[in-house]
Amino acid sequence: MAALGARGSAALPARLRALWALPARRALAADAGEGKAAQPKPAFTDEAVQTLLYKMTGLDLHKVFRPVKKGLKPPHYKLMTEAQLEEATRKAIEEAKTKLIMPPVLNEREPIDDVLAEDKVLEGTETAKYVFTDLSYSIPHRERFIVVREPNGVLRKATWEERDRMIQIFFPKEGRRVIPPTLFKDENLGTVFQQDRHEDVLNMCIAQFEPDSPDYIRVHHRAYEDIEKHAKYDLLRSTRHFGGMVWYLLSRKKTDGLLIDMINRDLLEDATSLITLYHMLHPECQSAKEAKEGKLQGIDLIKVFVKTESQREGYIQLALQAYEEAMATSSAS
Amino acid sequence: PYQERPWEYLESEEYRATYGDKPVWHGYRRNHKGSVPPQSARKACLRRGRRVGNPCPICRDRNLLVDFRNIKLLDQFICPHSGVIFHPIHTGICMKQHRRLAQAIAQAQDHGLLWLHVPFVPVPEEDFSNQHAAVGKTPPAPALKGPGRAWYPWYEWQQPPASEVARMRRLYQGFLKENYPDTPPS
Repeated sequence: MAALGARGSAALPARLRALWALPARRALAADAGEGKAAQPKPAFTDEAVQTLLYKMTGLDLHKVFRPVKKGLKPPHYKLMTEAQLEEATRKAIEEAKTKLIMPPVLNEREPIDDVLAEDKVLEGTETAKYVFTDLSYSIPHRERFIVVREPNGVLRKATWEERDRMIQIFFPKEGRRVIPPTLFKDENLGTVFQQDRHEDVLNMCIAQFEPDSPDYIRVHHRAYEDIEKHAKYDLLRSTRHFGGMVWYLLSRKKTDGLLIDMINRDLLEDATSLITLYHMLHPECQSAKEAKEGKLQGIDLIKVFVKTESQREGYIQLALQAYEEAMATSSAS
Repeated sequence: PYQERPWEYLESEEYRATYGDKPVWHGYRRNHKGSVPPQSARKACLRRGRRVGNPCPICRDRNLLVDFRNIKLLDQFICPHSGVIFHPIHTGICMKQHRRLAQAIAQAQDHGLLWLHVPFVPVPEEDFSNQHAAVGKTPPAPALKGPGRAWYPWYEWQQPPASEVARMRRLYQGFLKENYPDTPPS
């Protein structure tokens, strides 16, 4: 974390990139192997994508460090000079950057169903399954061998759910329960979303599930759908989930609501970076080609995008008009 | 009357007339000897079916049911500033009700009806490619590939060595059937 702080402006930590780059590099190699002339599809972990997403997330210190319900203590006052105040804000910004590291967006993991041995001699000797877990302390959890001996003598590798349960029993992690809370069932997610607690749900999800488990992906997609349906984009704005949400909306081309929200809040740079990301992800669409030919910037890019690709043209045009009027009045006065 | 929908009672006229805007346990005072009240709460308000004198705020009202669904009642026993359940001495409820209340609050937090403090868990940094043998695909053993193959060679019948067969024949000479074949009938 000290090394991260010393870097200063760069948003993306190199060590995370090195770790996540493995699937991205394999995908790139596969695409190059096909012999396509066009560039391979950008992944979530690409540096350009990450910098754009980080810029869009914003850095509202008041929201990142908002007071949380904890044990009560009397308030603590400090008297600081201007220089000390700047130093304190700089440290706060670095801490906020570590809090805003985006969780990885991965595909669903493939189920494990490998049989290692079949011993029919043992059939009928036992009435319960036996789970054997390798408890050596120094191996990462993904390389741990966990096998199950069934009563009919078959020795198979444990499924992902069994693996997660066993690892949580023997190596308990903070914030994770052996049996996931009933909150993550579809019926109960609705009640939580009505209370506008999407961020809490997503934090609990990161604590409870692995990033490539189907439950994690399902909860995240439900949360993003709900936000997009009710246009509650501002809830996630300064949190680490904003990047994931934008990626989800971009891959499904549902960016209109987000665009309207950004224009209404006068965040034009965020709107332009959103559209550049869209063009990076879908380079074959018409607005991407026009933008590349004309090398458009700013409002013109948005107008071209609105004309060709969006479904809610009327709303976006209205929002753009309101923004331009506001700009004209503010520059005139 | 409010057995199945306990939350309706908290919005009825009756409740408002009895309690107003104050929490349920407001104004309840235990009866005790001496100036210092006992530092432990009463064990139960209903002992062997009999009501003890001056029951606790929940036991004295028949319609107040401790259920994970009536969050308005549960909220009254949680500190609004720190999110911690009040001690039973502070609210005056008996230990049995306090235990049921704690269970109901845990259930409500589990279902998402009550606020819960979520600790910040940093993103795990590990290799997510699932390449290792423990979680990736391993090719099955040659014995499992075909349907006719057995795991151990001795699962299927094997021809014993000729010396063993001769020894057995010599041992049971007088009892062997005529024309008994060396291989068993399949």
